[in-house]
Amino acid sequence: MVAMVLAATLALSLYLPLMSGQLSLATPGFYAIGGYVAAILSTKVIHVTGPYPIPLILGEMILAGAGCGVLAVLIGVPALRLRGVYLALATIAFVEIVRVLSLTVEFTGGAIGIFNIPQPFVTANGIEYLLIALPMLICAALFVYRLERIGVGRALVAIREDELAADAVGINPTRYKVLSFAMGAMLAGAVGALSAHFLNTWNARQGTFDASIAVLAFVLIGGSRSFVGPIVGAMVLTALPEGLRAVAGIGELPVWLATLLRDGRVIIYGLLIVICTLNFPQGLIAPRQPVRKAVKSS
Amino acid sequence: MLEIKNLTVNYGGVVALNQANLEVRAGEIVTLIGANGAGKSTLLRAVSRIVTARGGQLTYDGHDLNRLRPDEVVHMGVAHVPEGRRVLARQTVQDNLALGAYVRSDTRAIAADMQRQFEVFPRLAERRNQLAGLLSGGEQQMLAIARALMSRPKLLLLDEPSLGLAPLIVKDIFRIIGELHRQGVTILLVEQNARLALETADRGYVLEAGEIVLSGPASDLIEDARVQQAYLG
Ligand SMILES: Nc1ncnc2c1ncn2[C@@H]1O[C@H](COP(=O)(O)OP(=O)(O)OP(=O)(O)O)[C@@H](O)[C@H]1O
Ligand SMILES: [Mg+2]
Repeated sequence: MVAMVLAATLALSLYLPLMSGQLSLATPGFYAIGGYVAAILSTKVIHVTGPYPIPLILGEMILAGAGCGVLAVLIGVPALRLRGVYLALATIAFVEIVRVLSLTVEFTGGAIGIFNIPQPFVTANGIEYLLIALPMLICAALFVYRLERIGVGRALVAIREDELAADAVGINPTRYKVLSFAMGAMLAGAVGALSAHFLNTWNARQGTFDASIAVLAFVLIGGSRSFVGPIVGAMVLTALPEGLRAVAGIGELPVWLATLLRDGRVIIYGLLIVICTLNFPQGLIAPRQPVRKAVKSS
Repeated sequence: MLEIKNLTVNYGGVVALNQANLEVRAGEIVTLIGANGAGKSTLLRAVSRIVTARGGQLTYDGHDLNRLRPDEVVHMGVAHVPEGRRVLARQTVQDNLALGAYVRSDTRAIAADMQRQFEVFPRLAERRNQLAGLLSGGEQQMLAIARALMSRPKLLLLDEPSLGLAPLIVKDIFRIIGELHRQGVTILLVEQNARLALETADRGYVLEAGEIVLSGPASDLIEDARVQQAYLG
């Protein structure tokens, strides 16, 4: 449950830059950084006995979000000159850089990572994390919902549909692209900070190319034209591996199929992306079309 | 109002405009005519700062346009109706118009202006909730012009409004251009339909391979032997 909610929030963080037409796969990079911020602060800087106070976690999330936001502006100004696939590649490179750096430098714990991140709750399955994760998702979703209805949102959509037209009506595309990229990064950073506590350990495997593809799959399969799509896509696809694992455990299946079901998450996501883009080019959740009158033939 | 001096624009190695001079005074319709690839659109794009000039001066109301970003140029009262209309196909007519008022914040006046556009372009009023992509070419051109007007421009840059339209629709659009002019909008009109453009404009310039080769009152240009041979034939 918690994982589903966190994944949905991450999907929104990829959806934000997509609102202005920017295909950025940087989400796992900022997610990883956010997680390290929380992991390092709570294990090495702050020392509390007993359950870890929730306000401190919230503080870490805010700090991680702000840090990622600033970093995103610094990266975004040059990177967002790139378009389409080139931007996607550059952001994958960013995720790789974050991963390699976290393997190399010392304060991230190298390849081993950081263990025993303090817990605010006592139960083992961590279901109470919903108390933080769910309000975060709801706030993020409400924020995006509002955003789509004010001038800024209209500017983002105009840039997505036709950048030259956006220029012509007086929108500054660069500013809004960087803004939407930074908003996505802030959200990813905050999710990372919370995830670090939830997962109890944090290491370089948290932000990888696989994760980029997984989050992209959430958005593409759910639907990239409305914010509901990424949320639904993320929830379904996060629940899916558990379901598949259960199926694989039934026995009677050929070994290769069971293995695929258990470990082939990325392959299955890839297949789903292909199938969905062919059959539901708009995603499972397609936006409401504005009322249209019958097209008159002229 | 707009003064262009020695404007030079390159695309990579290609010189699209070479030392072009052009002036638009307040209240005028000035037309720029020329063949395909002469550099007409490039000149408009340089004014609205979508492309950056290699050299020369661009002055509008005493401001140096070369120092501004495209959105700042719109804020200064220059609206560009780009070649090929560029309406947002997946948005409704009304949303496209609202976007045209992006640089303004006077909500009430914006609503009134939208109403005004619907009076000027009744075809758009009937289709206000329709997606712009489903409009006919002529209706899209009207929408592109109406969208530009929503920013309340002092100077309107029109790039080939007649492109690909049936003669009757072209006449309609030029009638509206004349009307806008009478209401006090200054217009720089780029056209390949030289006859119609020169009949509508006060003054004209002829662009050939990136250079201004002729200029003068529109009525003189219509009579000019070279113009007649090359463009009115
Ligand atoms: N983005 C671009 N990149 C490279 N070359 C360009 C670009 N845009 C225009 N050109 C070249 O610059 C020259 C002038 O083009 P421009 O579009 O200004 O002509 P035009 O007079 O508007 O023509 P048309 O009547 O066909 O619209 C042409 O040779 C064209 O090939
Ligand atoms: Mg042109």
